[in-house]
Amino acid sequence: MLPAQAPSVYTGAANVIAVLILLAEFGMFRQALLRDQVRLYAGQSVLIAVLAVLVAAVRHLPELYVLAAVTVALKAVAIPLVLRRLLRGTAPGHPLDVSHDIAGSGGLGLASTVLIGIAVAAFGFFSATVLPVSGGGAPVTALSVSLSVVLVAFVLMIHRRDVASQAIGLFSLENGISLAALVVAASLPLILEVALLFDLLLAVVVFGLLIRLHHGRAETLSTTDLTDLRG
Amino acid sequence: MVTALLPIPVIQVLQVLTIIGAGPGVSGVIARVEARLQGRRGPRVLQPYYDLAKLFRKEALAPAGASWVFLAAPVAAFTCYLTVPLLIPVLTTFPLPLGYMGDILGGGFILSLAGFLVAVAALETGSPYAQLGASRAKTFAAITEPVVLFVVFTVALLTATDLPYALAATVRSSAGQIIRPAHVLAAAALFMVILYETGRIPVETHSGTNEFGMIEEARSFEHSGPYFALLKWGSAAKQLILYTILLNVFVAPWGLAATRQPWAVVLAMAALPAKACVLGGVVAVIDNSFAKLRLFKITEFAAAAFLLAVLGVFTLYLGGG
Repeated sequence: MLPAQAPSVYTGAANVIAVLILLAEFGMFRQALLRDQVRLYAGQSVLIAVLAVLVAAVRHLPELYVLAAVTVALKAVAIPLVLRRLLRGTAPGHPLDVSHDIAGSGGLGLASTVLIGIAVAAFGFFSATVLPVSGGGAPVTALSVSLSVVLVAFVLMIHRRDVASQAIGLFSLENGISLAALVVAASLPLILEVALLFDLLLAVVVFGLLIRLHHGRAETLSTTDLTDLRG
Repeated sequence: MVTALLPIPVIQVLQVLTIIGAGPGVSGVIARVEARLQGRRGPRVLQPYYDLAKLFRKEALAPAGASWVFLAAPVAAFTCYLTVPLLIPVLTTFPLPLGYMGDILGGGFILSLAGFLVAVAALETGSPYAQLGASRAKTFAAITEPVVLFVVFTVALLTATDLPYALAATVRSSAGQIIRPAHVLAAAALFMVILYETGRIPVETHSGTNEFGMIEEARSFEHSGPYFALLKWGSAAKQLILYTILLNVFVAPWGLAATRQPWAVVLAMAALPAKACVLGGVVAVIDNSFAKLRLFKITEFAAAAFLLAVLGVFTLYLGGG
C-alpha cells in the first residue's frame, strides 16, 4: 500500500473549510436550542464566504469577492436577524425565549441520529466520486462534502418535528448548494448567484411568517399536531 | 571539531526519564494555570512532586481480604507507563531501535493494559466507589476505543505504516500534510480522546471529590502510601505520554533532536515539557470554559469524536483528503 499523496496547501485548506461546513451541519443536527442553531447557520455561512474568498484569491476570480461580501451580509447578518425578529414572541409567557419548543423535538436518540448522519454523509461522499466533474473553482473533494451537507440537511428536516429547525434545515441545505456551486461553476455569472441569494431571503420571510402563523394557530412550534388534519 | 555522540541506549533511557520526570510538573503547571484563570493563587508548580515525596514516606495499608493483586497492580501499571515512552518519538526524529517493538496500536494496548490492571485492583478492594469508578472507566473506554481505531486507520492511510515515527516525519515533510483535512480531523479526534483519557472537563473534574461524576479518579480510593504515589505518578506520566503522542506525532513534531549530539538531545528534553505546558494551558482554558457533562452525556462527546475520526477516513478515501 502506498501512502496517500499530500494535497497542495490550497486544496487542503479548501477541503478543511468544506469539512468544517459539514461539521457545522452536524452541529445543527444535534443542537437543542433554536438560538444556537441560528448561530451555527450564521457561522456556516461565514465559512462559505471564507471559502469563496480563498477560491477568488487563488483562481483569480474577482467576482467571488463580491459574492463573499453579499453572502456575509445576507446569510450571516440579515437572515439570522430576520429569523430572530420573526421568532421573537412565539413562546407564550417568555417573549424572548424561543428555545423550549425545539428541545427534544428529534424523533430519534442522539447516537442513532449521529450514526444515520454518518451513513448518509458517507453515501454523499462516495456517490460524488463517480461524477466526472473537474471544476475550475474549489477542489473536487469539496463537491462530495457539499453533497453530504445537502443529505444531512435533509435528514435534519425529516427527523426534527418542529417548524423552526425544519426551516433552518432548508436554509443550510442552500448553503450546501452554494458550496457545490463554488466547485462546479465558480465563475457563474454574479447576477445569477445574487438572484439566488435574494430568493433565499424571500424564503426566509415566507418561512418566518409560516412559523408565526403555525404558532399562532397551534401555540407550539411542533408539527406533530399537523397529522391530526389527515382525512 | 568532532563532538561525542550520545550512545543509543542512553537516549532511550533519557526518553523514559523525561516522561516520568516532567509528568508531575506538567500536571502542576496545568493546576496553576487553571487556578490563575479562576482568580485563585493556586498551588506551587512543584506541588505534585512534594505530594509524591510525602506519599512515599507514608505507610501502606490494604483493605482486609485484598489479595496480592491489589498491591502488585500499581507497580505493574507504572511499568507499563515506563514502557510506552520507548515506542513513541519523545526526543528524537530518527527511530530508536526499541521503537520498533510496537506500533501506535501496540502503545495503545500497553496503555489499556495499565488501565485494566488498575481497574482490577479497584475491584479487589470491595469499596463501592472504587468499583463504580473501575466499572465506569471500562464502559467508557469501550466507547472511545473505536475513535482511537479510526485515528490509527487515518495514520495508516497517510503513511502506509502505523509507526508513530513515520507519521511525525510525514507531518514535517510539507505544509500540505499539515493542513489536509484527514490530518486535522484525526488530530482533533485524538485530542478529544485525550481529554477523556486524562479525566479533564467536559468528562470529569480533575480535582475535588465529586463522587457521582468520578471515573478514573475514583479507582485509587483505597490505595495508600507508596502504592498510591505510584498510581498518581503513573497517571501524570500517562497524561504526558498522551500529550507527547499528540504533540510529537500529530500537531507539532518540531524541536526534536535530529542527531545524537548531546546538546540537541538536551534541547529536545527541554522542548517537550515546554510544548506540553502550552497544550496544558489550552486544556486548562477548556476546563474553565465548559461545564462537566452528565455521565450519560459522555456518549455524545464520544460520538462527536467518532464523527471527526470517521470523516477523516472518508476524506482520505476520496483522494483529496
